[in-house]
Amino acid sequence: MAQSKNTFLNFFSGRKLIIGVPYVWFISLAAIPLLIVLKISLSTMETASVSNMVDWSKGWPSLTLNFSSYQFIASDALYVKTYLSSIKYALITTIICLAIGYPFAYFMARAPKHIQPTLLMLIMLPFWTSFLLRIYAWKTLLVNNGIINNALISLGVMSEPIAMMNTPFSLTIGMVYSYLPFMILPLYANLSKLDIRYLEAAADLGTSPLKTFWLVTVPLSKAGIIAGSMLVFIPSIGEYVIPELLGGSNTLMIGRVLWDEFFSNNDWPMASAVAIVMILLILVPMALLNKYQSDQASDKAGA
Amino acid sequence: MATASKPQTGMKSAEKEELLRIEGISKIYDGTVKAVDDVSLTVYKGEIFGLLGGSGCGKSTLLRMLAGFEAPTKGKIYLAEQDITNLPAYQRPINMMFQSYALFPHLSVWENIAFGLKRDGMPKDQIAERVEKMLGLVQLTKFAPRKPHQLSGGQQQRVALARSLAKRPQLLLLDEPLGALDKKLRETTQLELVNIIEQVGVTCVLVTHDQEEAMTMASRIAVMSEGYFLQVGDPDTVYEMPNSRKVADFIGNVNMFEGVIEEDEPDHVTVRSLECIHYVGHGISGHAGMQVGVALRPEKVMLSKRKPKGDYNWAEGEVIEIVYFGAHTTYHLKLASGMVLKAQEINSTRDLSCGLTWGDKAYAHWSNEAMVVLTQ
Ligand SMILES: Nc1ncnc2c1ncn2[C@@H]1O[C@H](COP(=O)(O)OP(=O)(O)OP(=O)(O)O)[C@@H](O)[C@H]1O
Ligand SMILES: [Mg+2]
Repeated sequence: MAQSKNTFLNFFSGRKLIIGVPYVWFISLAAIPLLIVLKISLSTMETASVSNMVDWSKGWPSLTLNFSSYQFIASDALYVKTYLSSIKYALITTIICLAIGYPFAYFMARAPKHIQPTLLMLIMLPFWTSFLLRIYAWKTLLVNNGIINNALISLGVMSEPIAMMNTPFSLTIGMVYSYLPFMILPLYANLSKLDIRYLEAAADLGTSPLKTFWLVTVPLSKAGIIAGSMLVFIPSIGEYVIPELLGGSNTLMIGRVLWDEFFSNNDWPMASAVAIVMILLILVPMALLNKYQSDQASDKAGA
Repeated sequence: MATASKPQTGMKSAEKEELLRIEGISKIYDGTVKAVDDVSLTVYKGEIFGLLGGSGCGKSTLLRMLAGFEAPTKGKIYLAEQDITNLPAYQRPINMMFQSYALFPHLSVWENIAFGLKRDGMPKDQIAERVEKMLGLVQLTKFAPRKPHQLSGGQQQRVALARSLAKRPQLLLLDEPLGALDKKLRETTQLELVNIIEQVGVTCVLVTHDQEEAMTMASRIAVMSEGYFLQVGDPDTVYEMPNSRKVADFIGNVNMFEGVIEEDEPDHVTVRSLECIHYVGHGISGHAGMQVGVALRPEKVMLSKRKPKGDYNWAEGEVIEIVYFGAHTTYHLKLASGMVLKAQEINSTRDLSCGLTWGDKAYAHWSNEAMVVLTQ
């Protein structure tokens, strides 16, 4: 008796409590909702509600699983195409963000120490205005009679406006613009910790600055590159607002399909199935990242 | 080739060939911090030159200018008669072994050593051959596939050495090469390091703040303070004949008396200090009435219970401390003036000091040639 009372007390003693809080948070706000979505995706239209989650009709709890939504996704070429297209845009966004963000982060990390906080501030400055507003502002820049086209025409560079809005171009610009800070911040954090002595050692061994960059700086910032790429790639796949506002009807992205299933067709099982497949798509790069990080960790532990 | 421009203090042979010449080099940081102040130096082929000095005296800065990581504010650097002052680091035939090793963490031991060779466009088979040879030299052959963090401190140190030697540099720079090792490992590694360096036959400039390390490893040393050289010479000379109070104080243990020259003759001088009258058996560059320091090494002080004969070079005191070191024992003698005089006795001859113990009265005495008179 005393024994069990002790374990009970132990459970609520400080350490366990603190470790427990994130678990409670995760289970109640991530794992359980996810399971609910999974269950809904395996239901029919009629049974797709939280109260119908478990079937009591036989007198005991049972789950009726219905795979028709998944079958439909797999059989309809449009879904497959949309998923591929989402991955394509997410990849393009990630690559462009990396190409712009890396030099950006590099020079930020090399800037005089006292101006670095200011530069960091400037990176985060866009977050001070609403995301929607900023995306909408791009519209006024990119439309046919928008600022860019008007300026180019009045300068005589061309006579006809270029159709930039509602194209893959406008979509990509919006995505890159929105997600660039998420690439720069982890890269900056990583590069500012890069020990300058490695660069000196490379120079000492006869490596030109450019070669040193590829042979030393880039490999040593791999963790930052991976973190930044994940932070851009994962939310990019499911992005809804940017394709909706800037992408037009010919850019296919899964976020918009999701929206349509939920709010236009009211087909919750289908929408949930689309979401679950998207999560699976995201899990692949996540798993790779995890493996890389645990490899790193076990390398360190072996030291 | 040898230009006899400098006084070649302590050179075993004047025939030595000059490799590195530094002329009036200075480094001023941020317009105010004088890290290195008008230093000139010649290093000869095949020697291990030690740069010795306290923390912040500018040793690393001087070395980094040689490597090409810092541009001198003033002055010139010549390597084998060629002006390399403005040559970027990656074009200098000089390699450096870093204080913290700076081994590339993402590359294996093998790749670390091969790194510099690959940049030279050396054929693959030659690279492999050279790397194997370097690994053999530092006895790390079986560690080749490991990453640096999987090695012990001493092993990392040897990889760093192998990496800096792999390109066969004309000049090897070592910044506190043993700084990260514990004391016992340091002592064995010192000799090992000297062995390897001599095997390869590379000229070295070695930075250290440990005077024992400089003494055991270097064939010539410079004692540095506040950015300039106090004294340059071979370790014996610097130890036996320091040219200033600072050097005497920095190198080894010393008893320092402050006094005034009374007699100044060509063949001897006498100095009166609070503790005693010193009779120095050789002439010095000074004059009567001059304020000087008299430096006396503890191992040159003898102890006895009987009062020494004569009026010079002895003092009476009370034993207040006996420190046993194994091979020798150091006695601390408190003199009437309040000064604590250290005397070091070899333990096999300890019976000569008549079994002195705490609280005993004792006389310390020393020979006419035991002291160095310091005018600055
Ligand atoms: N980048 C720098 N900017 C400004 N001052 C510097 C810089 N690097 C070194 N200094 C200053 O120059 C002086 C000499 O530094 P240096 O690193 O050469 O000393 P050191 O002799 O190697 O000392 P230690 O034995 O502690 O390594 C110090 O006063 C140091 O503060
Ligand atoms: Mg230093």
